Amino acid sequence: MEGARKLVSTFKVPIGPQHPALKEPSNFTLEVEGEYVVNVTARVGYNHRGIEKACENRTYLQDIYLIERICGICSHAHTTTFCQAVEECGGIQAPPRGIYLRTLVAELNRIHSHLLWLGVAGHEVGWDTLLMYVWRDREVVMEALEMLTGNRVNYAINTIGGVRRDITPEQMRKLTKWLKILEERTKHYRNLCLGEKTLLSRAIGIGILKPNVARSLCAVGPTLRASGIKWDVRRDDPYAAYDEIPFEVVTSDMCDVAGRVIVRVDETLQSINICKWILEHLPSGDIRTKLTRKIPPNEVVSRAEAPRGELIHFVRSNGTDKPDRVKVRAPTLGNILAVCEMLKGGYIADIPIVLAAIDPCFSCTDRMLFVDRTTDKNWVWSSEDLKRYSVRFYANEPFPRRR
Amino acid sequence: MIMSEEKKAQTEEKKAAPPRIEPPKVEPQKIQVENSMVEEIKKFLGEDLIEGKVQRPRRIYLKVKPGAHRKAIQYMKDNWGLYHISTISGLDLGNNLEVVFHLNARNIEVNLRAEIPRNKAKIDTITDLLPGSNLYEREVHDLFGIEFRGHPNLEKLELPEDWPKGVYPLRKDWKVPE
Repeated sequence: MEGARKLVSTFKVPIGPQHPALKEPSNFTLEVEGEYVVNVTARVGYNHRGIEKACENRTYLQDIYLIERICGICSHAHTTTFCQAVEECGGIQAPPRGIYLRTLVAELNRIHSHLLWLGVAGHEVGWDTLLMYVWRDREVVMEALEMLTGNRVNYAINTIGGVRRDITPEQMRKLTKWLKILEERTKHYRNLCLGEKTLLSRAIGIGILKPNVARSLCAVGPTLRASGIKWDVRRDDPYAAYDEIPFEVVTSDMCDVAGRVIVRVDETLQSINICKWILEHLPSGDIRTKLTRKIPPNEVVSRAEAPRGELIHFVRSNGTDKPDRVKVRAPTLGNILAVCEMLKGGYIADIPIVLAAIDPCFSCTDRMLFVDRTTDKNWVWSSEDLKRYSVRFYANEPFPRRR
Repeated sequence: MIMSEEKKAQTEEKKAAPPRIEPPKVEPQKIQVENSMVEEIKKFLGEDLIEGKVQRPRRIYLKVKPGAHRKAIQYMKDNWGLYHISTISGLDLGNNLEVVFHLNARNIEVNLRAEIPRNKAKIDTITDLLPGSNLYEREVHDLFGIEFRGHPNLEKLELPEDWPKGVYPLRKDWKVPE
C-alpha cells in the first residue's frame, strides 16, 4: 500500500466509491506491470452497516430479521447460525421436524446460490447465454422456495426454537418433481462446463491457489475445497440435521477457477440428493418449541456452511431479552486474503473471473484503481470497462502464453 | 381468581428472574478428546492458563493471561495441527476489554480469550503465527480500539476515513446517535 501511495500523484475518480447509481461498492487497488497484476490491495467495508451494534439494541426475535439481511443470497445460513446460537444459549432444543425443514431450506438455498453463481461466472467471461439458461433453470428453485416459505429472497422461515411454516404432502410431491427437473438440468450444465472450450480456456490455470497457501491464509468454502482440502462444516462440525444425512464433501485438485466451477456444480448435485433424502425421511411432529423471552447468561459459538464457506456467529447473552454481543464473520471476509494472492501474476483480463470465483458477497467490485509501475500511469475502471477489456483481450488471443 | 399471598409472590418471582437453565449434561465419553486437550494445555501453560473448560463436544474455551496467547497458539500449531483461525472477536466486559481468538484444531473450535485493561488496550499480534488473522485484527482494532503490537498494517477495515479518531463504536460507552 505504501508503494502504491508513492506512485499515485493525481487520479480522477469520476463517481464513488459510494454513489446512489452504483451497485454494491468496494475498492481494489491493483499495481500492474503491462498486462500483469503485481500486487493487490482490497478495501472492504463500504457496505458496513453496523449490524453488530444494532443487534445489541434489539431483542433476539427482532435480531433475526437484521441478521437475515446481512446477505441476500446466503440469508438462510445467517439465520440458521444465529437461531442455533440463541437456542444453545437458552438450552432450547428445536424439534426434529423443524430441524429437518431448516436443513431442507438451507440446501435449496445452496442450490439457488450455486446456480446464480454459475450464471454470474458465465457473464464475467462474456458468455451471457450461459447466464440466461442457468437463471431460467434457477427459477425452479425460486418457485420451490416461494412455495415453502412465501418469499423468493429473504425467507424468514427460521425462528428461535424451529421454523415458522410447515410443509404439506402436496408441496412435498411438487418439490420432488421439481428436484428431478433440476437434477437433469444441473447434470447438463456439468457436462457443458467440462466440455466447453470457451469456458475452460478462461478457467483452467487461472487464479491458482496452492493448498499450503490456502491453508495459511485461512480460506473457506468452495475456494478451499477446489485446492484439494476436504473441509466442510457440515461434515466436520455437524449442525442442524447434517449428522444424520449421508452426503459427500466435494473437492477438486485443480486449484484454479475451473476447479471452483466443478466444485460448485457437484455440490449442487449433492444438495439435490440431500433434499431428496430429507423429503423421504422427514419426521413428523412439531416444527417449533415455545421459548422464553429472556435468555440466561451464556456464550455460544455457532458455525454453519453457507454457500460461500464457513460462517461463524459468536453470541453472548446476559439474562435479558437483548443480546450482549453478536459477532458475525461472513465467509467472504475469510477469502479476501486468498483472492489478493490469486490475482498476483495473472493478466488484468483475468481479474473479473478470478474475483467472481470466490463468489464474493460484496457483489460487483465496481471501482478499481490501476497503477502501472512501468509507465507510472494510473487509471480508474468500472467493472463494465474491465469486462469489455477482458472479452476483447481473449477474443484477440484466445490461448495466450502465460508467465 | 383469588390467589393466596404465597402464590402471588411465587408467580412474581418466576416472572422476574430468567429461568435458570442447567447446561445439558454431556456424557464424559463424548468429550474425552476435548478434556484431554484441556489437560494437555493446562500442563503446558501452567499458571498462564486462568481457566479451561469444555462446553460441549467440539467447543473448548480457554482463558489465558494476555502475554501467553502466542505461546498457546504456537503449542497448538506444533501439537494439534492448528492452521485455521475462524475469526477474532472483541468484547466489552465493562471494566476490561477482551479478545477472543476463534481457532479450529482437529475439527474442534478452540476459543482462546485474553482480558486486557480498557485504558491500555494493547496485545501482541498473531499474524506471524497465523497469516489469516490479518484482516480480523484490523477489524477489532477499528471497532474496539485494541492495538495489536507488531501487525504489519493496522489500518481501518470497516469504518470510513472521516470517522473521528478515538471513537470506538462497538464499546459499550458509545451509543448509536438518535
